[in-house]
Amino acid sequence: MHLDPAQEKLLRGESGEAKRFAMEVATKVGDAVGAESLVPIKSAHVLAHYSSLHEAGIDVLERYASAGGKFAVPTSVDPASIDLQNWRSFGVPEEYARQQFRLCDAYAKLGGMRCWTCVQYQVCNFPKQGEIVAWAESSAVVFANSVLGVRSNKITAGMDVACAVLGLTPKFGMLNDENRVATVSFRLAAGALSDLDYRSVGFFIGRNAGGRVPVLEGLPANVTSDEVKHLGAGAAAAGPVTMIHLPGITPGSRSASDATGREAVEEFEVTRSDLSSVEADLNQTAEAPDLVAFGIPHLSVNELGQLAKELEGRKLKRGVKMYVYTSGQAYEMAERTGIAETIEATGARLTHSTDAEISPLKQLGFRVVMTNSAKLAEIVSSEGEIKMRFASQKSIIEEVTG
Amino acid sequence: MVLAGRGLIGGRASGTALRSAKAFTFAHGVDPSTGTVTDIRSDIRGENVKGRILFYPFGKGSTTASSWFLEAVRLGNFPAAIVTEGVDLSAVIGSVMARVIYGVEIPVISGVSREDCSKLPQGSLVTVSSSKDGARVEA
Repeated sequence: MHLDPAQEKLLRGESGEAKRFAMEVATKVGDAVGAESLVPIKSAHVLAHYSSLHEAGIDVLERYASAGGKFAVPTSVDPASIDLQNWRSFGVPEEYARQQFRLCDAYAKLGGMRCWTCVQYQVCNFPKQGEIVAWAESSAVVFANSVLGVRSNKITAGMDVACAVLGLTPKFGMLNDENRVATVSFRLAAGALSDLDYRSVGFFIGRNAGGRVPVLEGLPANVTSDEVKHLGAGAAAAGPVTMIHLPGITPGSRSASDATGREAVEEFEVTRSDLSSVEADLNQTAEAPDLVAFGIPHLSVNELGQLAKELEGRKLKRGVKMYVYTSGQAYEMAERTGIAETIEATGARLTHSTDAEISPLKQLGFRVVMTNSAKLAEIVSSEGEIKMRFASQKSIIEEVTG
Repeated sequence: MVLAGRGLIGGRASGTALRSAKAFTFAHGVDPSTGTVTDIRSDIRGENVKGRILFYPFGKGSTTASSWFLEAVRLGNFPAAIVTEGVDLSAVIGSVMARVIYGVEIPVISGVSREDCSKLPQGSLVTVSSSKDGARVEA
């Protein structure tokens, strides 16, 4: 990889140990993936949750922080493993919380925005079309590339902090035009889509695209950015997808032939029976749930408002909890506007700064979890301990409230 | 049998082949405290990655995979080498972090197709060598 003189200095440690260490990581990764150079980024998004980073992740983050590292660009952070404000009331063990707070402290020392969300693009991190960023969080990377026209690779844990500290990222993968061309096509032929269907469509694409960039045709013109958010999250959970061309939405792709560069590509039809197979795969039991989880990825204020409407006047049945996950900012807005009160009047709880798939669900004693999130269903079911149920928001509410 | 690939992370290793034909992830898929594959959708569930030459076509899922991988390294339950078809950035970054944080060398090779991998019997003894100039998988 070619380094410019300023980058050479960083690698020699002339700007301190944290940057030297970050350069060592970035150049090794850059060389491995065949990047020609390191290029500036406009923002970063990093991971700092204990459930997946473990002790090793604490070692990494504390190493940067203790070396005096500071983020060089605006940097946001994925959810923590606990509700940072109300964790005690969720029964989280002290020792578990202590490990999470070590990560929080190291992240704060590095100077990150404390917004703890997986939908940073709806909350606190706003690059504009054509800019390069280095984001972790697979669902956000799909949204960046597919909807915002922002360029990001799926920057995984360890590399994320290196990029944030340097304000640089290796130029490879989705940063290069030739890798952003669609090479497989999906065409919707499943009729009107429910909330669940958007997640299942994403999941189907993730399963079948392999390492290829897909184009998806046939979304309704009134599809919302939240629906696309959940579609992308399903795709990224099921496979290595980092971008989905959505003709009419994705900048530069007015049509499928724009997306494919007019080349012939393999085509899949997405039928009702394909979506039913996804549902069958993600439904592991018919048992009654002990937890319902909404908001993986985090719900927006709009989605919270819609949920509140559907829950209004209902009560959760005995034996089931309902956790609704969102960002701290949407949480505050929901509190100010009465949305939180309506949701919590059912017996459900609104929770922020954490999310279900990275929280200690097993240690908290849950056995059967019901959700409309393909991402949560895929991740939790893959561990094989908690059984998952995958259903639409409407049918979940029908089943667990009265 | 010799398979050629691209050397992403250099080094040499030998061990028995552990081969998956499906997209693979360490995140929620391998127990770092034992090295056992726990992913219920994996075709090598119940096998142990420790000391093995691990083959899979693609990575999948969460960007946390590299930290699950690094935790397995910290606890000594890591594969001897990783061989994939497409580049799995999680494996690359996990291996780089393993070297800079814990001083452990885990070669990573890409560009070996599923079809070629399928010719390697599960559990056969494999030697890999990986460098910028290329990579070889010998069985």
